[in-house]
Amino acid sequence: MSSHVNSSSFEELALPLLPSLYSHAFWLSRNHADAEDLVQEAISKSLRAFDSFQAGTNFKAWIFRILRNTFLTSRTGIAVSRTVFLEDLPDRPDTTDASPTPEDHLLRLDNQAVVNRALDQLHPNLREVLLLCDVEELKYKDIAQILDVPIGTVMSRISRARRTLHHQLKLQLGESL
Amino acid sequence: MTQTTPANGHLGPDQLSAFIDGELLSSEAYEIQQHLTDCHPCALRVLSATQLKHATARSAQRFAAPPEALARLTTQLRQQEPKRIVRIYSFRPVAWSAIAAALVLAVSLIGWRQIHQANTLSTELLDQHLAALSSGASPEVISTDRHTVKPWFQGKLPFSFNLPDVLPADTTLKGGDLAYLNGQPAALLLFTIHKHEVSVFLTQRSGGPTIRSLSGVRSGFAIHRAMTKDLRIVAVSDVNPADLDLLVSALVDAQLPH
Repeated sequence: MSSHVNSSSFEELALPLLPSLYSHAFWLSRNHADAEDLVQEAISKSLRAFDSFQAGTNFKAWIFRILRNTFLTSRTGIAVSRTVFLEDLPDRPDTTDASPTPEDHLLRLDNQAVVNRALDQLHPNLREVLLLCDVEELKYKDIAQILDVPIGTVMSRISRARRTLHHQLKLQLGESL
Repeated sequence: MTQTTPANGHLGPDQLSAFIDGELLSSEAYEIQQHLTDCHPCALRVLSATQLKHATARSAQRFAAPPEALARLTTQLRQQEPKRIVRIYSFRPVAWSAIAAALVLAVSLIGWRQIHQANTLSTELLDQHLAALSSGASPEVISTDRHTVKPWFQGKLPFSFNLPDVLPADTTLKGGDLAYLNGQPAALLLFTIHKHEVSVFLTQRSGGPTIRSLSGVRSGFAIHRAMTKDLRIVAVSDVNPADLDLLVSALVDAQLPH
């Protein structure tokens, strides 16, 4: 490990990420007790593996990957992974909206409860990628590292997640669009 | 970045997402900006997607960590970190330090014991300091954070003490350990001053043996003592005595009521 990493304390790097790790762990497990356990375990694992962290790479992506892998090996994670996800089919040639007028693209997003419900109903795999992008503000290449998928898959999942969310919101908001 | 541009000339969904996420090359982003100035439907889609992105972030943030959970996780992180510092030392420096310290220990103790056999308390102090120098076994709490070191002693000692907010120049707190000094429980604080190791022993003032005669230089090691209202402070090191004094003074000042 480089001297740069040696001089950086694990605590110094990990402490500011605890709120994000917890929030993401909650979205993965959907349970406060499990979220805390997940973060605890991820911290222990990260600390033990800190020697393998490459200086100059994104620490946040590195520790989020450990958090995710910890989740996937948990009881809840194994159950979630059994749900069917028709993954990453190429987009149809033209998936642009065929709404009657361009204004139909616009959603009235002032009803936060409806947005919350739509996000809750999103498939976990799609929600996960969207949270890493929109909430954690990670770059596609970092998300690809966390999810262990190609960057093209990240791109198509994000796009699909947004279209699904958009569709759900249109259904829920109905005439108010 | 791979683009998906549908045949109808409008932005593809992947392209639109990559644009609002700032994932495109500047030349690609510029092309899209040019397109948006002429294409009302695509401009509305970009606006809609941006609003949705913000709404998603707002929605996701409703599950913030409860303060008590964060506090527990912070404590866990801080408790684990000291152990890590030991692990990240590479083997070679540790080995050389151990050999050097063992030589210092052997030479110093042989010479020192012959001259000062009668002064058992001084012997004990130096023994403990040299043991701390040479120990492959690290102190129980290793941290440069006084908020980690001080609480570690809580419940382990029959007294409490304060650590200075600011240490003298080039003085670093390394950690702490429990020690027994002349039959008294002591807090052993480990510092470095200009890379010289310093052991500081804090004991209760009441009931303990007098160690007034300890100050001075013994076998090349400076021993400085000080008293506060409740504590005895003894510092041992091979650093310049003036620098050791600064540290002892800072420790004495820290015990004063604020």
